[in-house]
Amino acid sequence: MIFSNCDCLEESAYSWIEVDREKCNKCGLCLEMCPMDVLRFGKKGFPVMRYRDDCWYCDICVFVCPRQALTMTELPYLIR
Amino acid sequence: MVYILESDVVIIGAGAAGTMAALFAHRQNPKLKIAVLDKSKMETSGAAGRGMDALNTIALPPYSFPEDVVEHLTKVTEGVLDQEVAFTYGGLGPQLVRDLEEIMERKKGDLFPVDENGHYRLFYLHPINKPLLLPMDGEEMKRALARAVRKTGAEVYDRTVAIKIMTTEGRVHGVLAFNIRTGHYFYFKAKAVCLTTGAAGRIGLASSGYLAGCYEFPGNAGDGYHLAYEAGAELVNMECFQANTLLKDHQGPSCGYVAAPRGAHTNNYQGERIWSHGYSSGDSKMGVWKTFAEGKGPVYLRMDHLPEKTIQIIEKIQWGNERTSRGLFHRGRRQDYRRGRSVELAFAEEIGVCGGHSSSGILSDRHGATNIKGLYVSGDVDGGLPHSYLGGALAMGRVNGEQAAQYTADQDHVSESGSLRTWLRKEMAAFEAPLRRDRGLPTQWVEFKARTRIQYYLKPPKNPGYMNAAVDWMERIRREDLPQIKAGDYHDLLKVFEISCILSVGEMMARASLFREESRWGYQHWRADIPFKKPEWEGTWVVVSKGLKGMELSRRPVPAHKWDFPAAMEYSYPELAFHVGKPFEKGPNWKNPDQDLWMEKHLEKEGLKTPRRFMPKE
Repeated sequence: MIFSNCDCLEESAYSWIEVDREKCNKCGLCLEMCPMDVLRFGKKGFPVMRYRDDCWYCDICVFVCPRQALTMTELPYLIR
Repeated sequence: MVYILESDVVIIGAGAAGTMAALFAHRQNPKLKIAVLDKSKMETSGAAGRGMDALNTIALPPYSFPEDVVEHLTKVTEGVLDQEVAFTYGGLGPQLVRDLEEIMERKKGDLFPVDENGHYRLFYLHPINKPLLLPMDGEEMKRALARAVRKTGAEVYDRTVAIKIMTTEGRVHGVLAFNIRTGHYFYFKAKAVCLTTGAAGRIGLASSGYLAGCYEFPGNAGDGYHLAYEAGAELVNMECFQANTLLKDHQGPSCGYVAAPRGAHTNNYQGERIWSHGYSSGDSKMGVWKTFAEGKGPVYLRMDHLPEKTIQIIEKIQWGNERTSRGLFHRGRRQDYRRGRSVELAFAEEIGVCGGHSSSGILSDRHGATNIKGLYVSGDVDGGLPHSYLGGALAMGRVNGEQAAQYTADQDHVSESGSLRTWLRKEMAAFEAPLRRDRGLPTQWVEFKARTRIQYYLKPPKNPGYMNAAVDWMERIRREDLPQIKAGDYHDLLKVFEISCILSVGEMMARASLFREESRWGYQHWRADIPFKKPEWEGTWVVVSKGLKGMELSRRPVPAHKWDFPAAMEYSYPELAFHVGKPFEKGPNWKNPDQDLWMEKHLEKEGLKTPRRFMPKE
């Protein structure tokens, strides 16, 4: 896999999808189901918005999480 | 790494139409080898990935009949349609309702509303006096369709984008695809292909500047239009643009089809209603344009006159499916459905094309068959069945699957020539060239440039100056910028392919708009230089196809109409001649010298170079 120019694999990067690390068990279902392929596992193993600018704010990641660990806190900055 | 595989039917795009095609191709012949490709994830992909609240155009007796669909479509396409296709779809309503209730395992009255007589309860929305809108509690529709497809044993290739459809002598025989997670290529030998890739929705860029801020699913970048064109298929109505009234900046639907049938209005800032009906046809778009042109924007969706219960119903529907982030968006902007000037709408913020919302796409007959043998289309990429929304995608998706399955029965795979691997190596090398470059333009920049140029030059009212400039820009970006893009990874490589699709679609839109020398479909093809319909263009398609020297355009009459329904909406094009007062009158001495001796001297002395007169640390 070539993911060389990554600048968003830090869990601390700006994101409108908030991950509750107490609840998230890193199952990856959100990565699997995101229709725009936005999410990847970050350096600490939690979901991060690797391709943030492709997010359609559809909230499927939030919807599919079996542990309700994800929250969409706001919409992308340019449209909120 | 390339895998060479053999399938009977390849489905490209597993949205509503594609999943139905896969399911019913299997039911037609369970022995078929079916491959389903989706650049996204089948369970969540496409325009209806998060569900849908209605089947917008469907005839269900005893309240509406197939002829009513023909009447509606004849009217909103202003006669530019094959009525036989419309009639075929019009007759599929009851079957579609049964299909969805079965696939989603929902009982009658649960998925769709039923009235006291046990009939499906339709709403009025369309500009005819029959109801054609069936509300639906369809949040999990895509998951149910995907589950049904996976149960058939079809081979599903998620995150796999089709990059080429191969044809020989006008017959489809293969599909080359790329997996954006693994970087693997797949070459499918195919007897039939169902192309169900959705609208060209990621085309013009909205003023927010956010690349994924699209009305349509952002994965729908016109792939199907581009693939079909390159394969030799014919496209029609590419000049009939999709230009919607949308929730400003969010770009979600303006809620008109949910709220309007329940009493909401679209109003100007003075509180006046804009148009007589809320259906998204050329005439109502003209009405919205007029509002802004007269300085009466912003435009609002007005619901403050509705009972609280109705408002809550609208909120439940709007925030519960399709674009579920609407609730959060409204809260963030402090918008409230209970206030008059609160929910702001914008118009024509992103120009694109779509068969389902408008009329643009690949020309097909009542079976979804195209001019390429073995290539079937349905859904938003289909130009043969206009304005049919989700209902058309689902019903014609089923027809596609059945037809493709039948077609394969007496077909053999085309024997590949010995040079297949050589050809594949060449295609793969060209596709991934952006990945191999050491440096280059970021994909986002090139996409931004292409889409802002499209939005600026293609947005109606049109004229040859703007359309020719659009063509120039599409050609220039394709020639100069595409070969310079540096893709960072496979995900990025998909974006490069999508940009080439966007450029293709933009060029088709501009060239078709130039070719159709009249105005039609209200705002959607408004030529400011020819602001009227011409009799010689009645019942005529503009056909776009790939010729030996590039894009070719031609005109073709639609099949003779069987039904004599009105082929026009009531509207007129305005004369754009504004009175802006008297310009400044120049006096007799208001004259500059013919010769600029002072600058001529500078030019002679310095040439075109700017002299270095100031250096900070010399």
